Amino acid sequence: MDLSHYKKAWENQPEEKNKVSALEIYKMTQAKSTSIVKWILIIGLLEFVFWTIINHFVSELDYNKVYAKLDLTYFFEYSYYLGYIIVVIFLYFFYRNYTSVSTTDNTKTLMRKIIKVRRTVKFYVYFNISISILAMIILNILIANTPNGIETLLRVDQSSIDSSDMITIYIASQVIGAIIMILILLLFYYLLYGLLLKKLNKNYKDLTKLDEAN
Amino acid sequence: MQTELEKNFLLDFEANQNIAHKVCRLYTPNQDAHNDLFQEIAIQLWKNYAKFRGDSKFSTWMYRVALNTAISLYRKSTRTIKTQDISDVSFKIQSSEYDNTEELQLAALYNAIRSMNDIDKALIFLYLEDKPYKEIAETLGITEVNARVKMNRAKDKLKKILNP
Repeated sequence: MDLSHYKKAWENQPEEKNKVSALEIYKMTQAKSTSIVKWILIIGLLEFVFWTIINHFVSELDYNKVYAKLDLTYFFEYSYYLGYIIVVIFLYFFYRNYTSVSTTDNTKTLMRKIIKVRRTVKFYVYFNISISILAMIILNILIANTPNGIETLLRVDQSSIDSSDMITIYIASQVIGAIIMILILLLFYYLLYGLLLKKLNKNYKDLTKLDEAN
Repeated sequence: MQTELEKNFLLDFEANQNIAHKVCRLYTPNQDAHNDLFQEIAIQLWKNYAKFRGDSKFSTWMYRVALNTAISLYRKSTRTIKTQDISDVSFKIQSSEYDNTEELQLAALYNAIRSMNDIDKALIFLYLEDKPYKEIAETLGITEVNARVKMNRAKDKLKKILNP
């Protein structure tokens, strides 16, 4: 059958039976939005808080006394403040991208902007992971260049273990620890955003395909 | 106490609510989800109403916001069931003077469109609503040429689903 018959059926379809009154519409507009943009904002802000708290606690750790012994206090203090400046910069971009999202844009622009908001947070996460790895590497180089550095850090008696064994165990445990941390983080972000944005990403891909040359 | 802006908005929305209902019917599988999406569309429309200057018709603007909400913003509720409820559509459209053949055609049409992807749904919906290609292209953010080409493909897909 021709589509025009169906189109006619569409045009003749009766109006919705469960019509909503002006009062009901008013009540609806007072309700809270549950859109994914709102969720991205909330989750994004929680992440900034999360990482800031983590950074704060790390700086308060007992380890700082050990770092002081190794003359690394300045290194940690500077990276701590630098971290805050970077959070502020990221927050600014995050907020700017968020406010640019508007439902009145065309569909493609809207989707692109939502993905951009998400990307800001993604960069922040990658940035944090890279910085952590970098800090770990720098720290280890510094420790390795300090006489009895590892022993001081681990707070063990120099004579208790064979020192080459200790270095191997130390490096291996650090690498394994880092890999586990990164895997947990990636899984966490997949669950958080992957599922939230699955539909949007698929639709964006479909729409982009639509606009490609035939 | 409602402001003048709120009053105008409620009048505009109430008169054009059918657009939002149709979008909800196409993009959601059951009444709960329908109501959820409808509410989100209302929130989005109201949030942007102050910026709506009336350089286009309210209805034109509403098509865009309603489709955007369905395609990009709305998170399908976890209650979502895969099966599409045909009785749900035919139940709603029963009326005394309504031709039975057309009723069945409409139910089949709704089910066919519901099985398409979100973007094709939007194309077909705008075609059924008799929107000019220029407006379709502007709503989705694609070129008019591509809108024409892809519309024909979406129509072919729909025909195949309707007449296997």
